[in-house]
Amino acid sequence: MFSLDLLLNAIVAGILIGGFYAAVSLGISVSFGLLDIVNIAHPAFVILGSYTAYAMNRFFGFDPLLTGLLFTPVFYALGVVVYRLYYLGFERKGEESLRGLVFFFGVLFIVEVALLLAYGVDYRMIEARYVGQSFHIGVVGIAFRLLLPCLVGLMVTVALHLFLSKTFYGRAIKAVSQDSQALRLMGVDPVKIKRIAFALSIATASLAGALLILIGPVEPSIGREYIGRVFAIVVLGGMGSISGTLAASVILGVVESLTATFSGPSWAPAVSFGILLVVLAVRPAGLFGR
Amino acid sequence: MNRLVVSDIHAGYGAVRVLHGVSVEANQGETVVLLGTNGNGKSTLIKCIMGLIQPSSGQIFLEVDGRRIDLVGRSTEDIVNLGVTLVPEGRRLFPKLTVEENLLLGAYRPEARREIDRNLSACFETFPILQQRKRQLAGSMSGGEQQMLAVARALMSEPKILLVDEPSVGLAPILVSRVIATIKELKERHNLTVLMAEQNFNQATKIADRGYIIVHGKIEFEGRTTRELVENELVKKFYLGV
Ligand SMILES: Nc1ncnc2c1ncn2[C@@H]1O[C@H](COP(=O)(O)OP(=O)(O)OP(=O)(O)O)[C@@H](O)[C@H]1O
Ligand SMILES: [Mg+2]
Repeated sequence: MFSLDLLLNAIVAGILIGGFYAAVSLGISVSFGLLDIVNIAHPAFVILGSYTAYAMNRFFGFDPLLTGLLFTPVFYALGVVVYRLYYLGFERKGEESLRGLVFFFGVLFIVEVALLLAYGVDYRMIEARYVGQSFHIGVVGIAFRLLLPCLVGLMVTVALHLFLSKTFYGRAIKAVSQDSQALRLMGVDPVKIKRIAFALSIATASLAGALLILIGPVEPSIGREYIGRVFAIVVLGGMGSISGTLAASVILGVVESLTATFSGPSWAPAVSFGILLVVLAVRPAGLFGR
Repeated sequence: MNRLVVSDIHAGYGAVRVLHGVSVEANQGETVVLLGTNGNGKSTLIKCIMGLIQPSSGQIFLEVDGRRIDLVGRSTEDIVNLGVTLVPEGRRLFPKLTVEENLLLGAYRPEARREIDRNLSACFETFPILQQRKRQLAGSMSGGEQQMLAVARALMSEPKILLVDEPSVGLAPILVSRVIATIKELKERHNLTVLMAEQNFNQATKIADRGYIIVHGKIEFEGRTTRELVENELVKKFYLGV
């Protein structure tokens, strides 16, 4: 059963999928960790991104990665609108915690139902030349449908990290949940800062969605499979830490891949919850939490 | 020419009325101290100036080169952008950001961004400890270091008018004199107008040009010189326990 080839392939596949997990998780790390916004609808925006890539591919023959990039401004705008509703309805009144959760649950539900009505329950996939192709390095096979999402995930991670650490907006985003009134004393409008950061998180979700449909077929409720996984990553990485999110994504990807290879795929989902529980018990601030 | 004028301000929190017709002013280059013991309304007045709470009546304005700019009704961000910066009570640093990140956030306003390098080196020159600790999280600094960081962060905004709310709170006496002396030094170097709320009478009068005594939300005494403050009966009663 055990062989070195199998082990190496499992590790590489895990690293590749980990890069993709980072793309899915970064937005949640930002909204939960830096903005105190419990956006549990994040996976729904990912799926919306997948279906956008699907539709553009089906009707216009667009490459999913191209669609993902082209539509980030559209999803950014959608994020602005969603944050505005959330702000006016809840945050401004100081009712963000429980009612905010209900709001995002509602958003999740609406997106899912809308996609069900529009596309039905069938799995959808895209067509692109490179999807079925792969190459080999020694005994290790590398599939383009995993490599490209990983590379894009890494690029998004690096870009977000630079944005947060090198720009005025970025530093303000990192400060906003610590003391928003003190931020106003620096001449910063905290509501604007949260709007920008939230909209960015939604834009990354849509891009992650384009990656998701590259990896495999999607159906409207597939986002649920990601909720547990994404939370495990965000908690393990230390809420709000971008490099931590990337590290945690790769760790989870590799552990899942090893589990699936050596114990069977049905065990893989249990991995994320196992990790989540252990981290919460041993180090609640996560690996990289400040 | 920069002048800050507060005229006949009434303010409070809901039904709790705190300020009853307070007028103070600070002229170009002056250090004006607002003296008062706990709960007399010092911070409330400063919050009104910064637009953090709205007064129910009265006027607050700047005179910049003969032009009058009203502050009441403006957002805090606007007021900061006009060159009025506060070192808030309790420091209000961003504890999970580094010293350097805190300083850079201080320079957010457009006019400050242009001077960022110059101001950063000026801060490091005045407070070498901040340079040594620039990668340390602000929350893990000692109380005195945090107060220096709070002052330095305010200076990063290239202020014309600097408000300081009780810089001495929670500091050992030796640090109090150091922080107070630094404020004086910085004021002179940057040609600031300073309005400082304090309870520590002895320290505050060391650097003040003149001041006011606020009791129960009213200005009970205005000292046109530090000497007038020191010799005042109210001061003797409230501060010197005579
Ligand atoms: N947010 C608030 N809500 C209600 N009342 C408040 C609030 N903040 C302050 N007060 C009240 O207003 C009065 C003046 O408070 P303020 O903070 O201005 O005093 P202070 O002179 O700054 O005192 P200290 O030296 O203790 O800081 C106090 O009676 C206080 O209880
Ligand atoms: Mg006070």
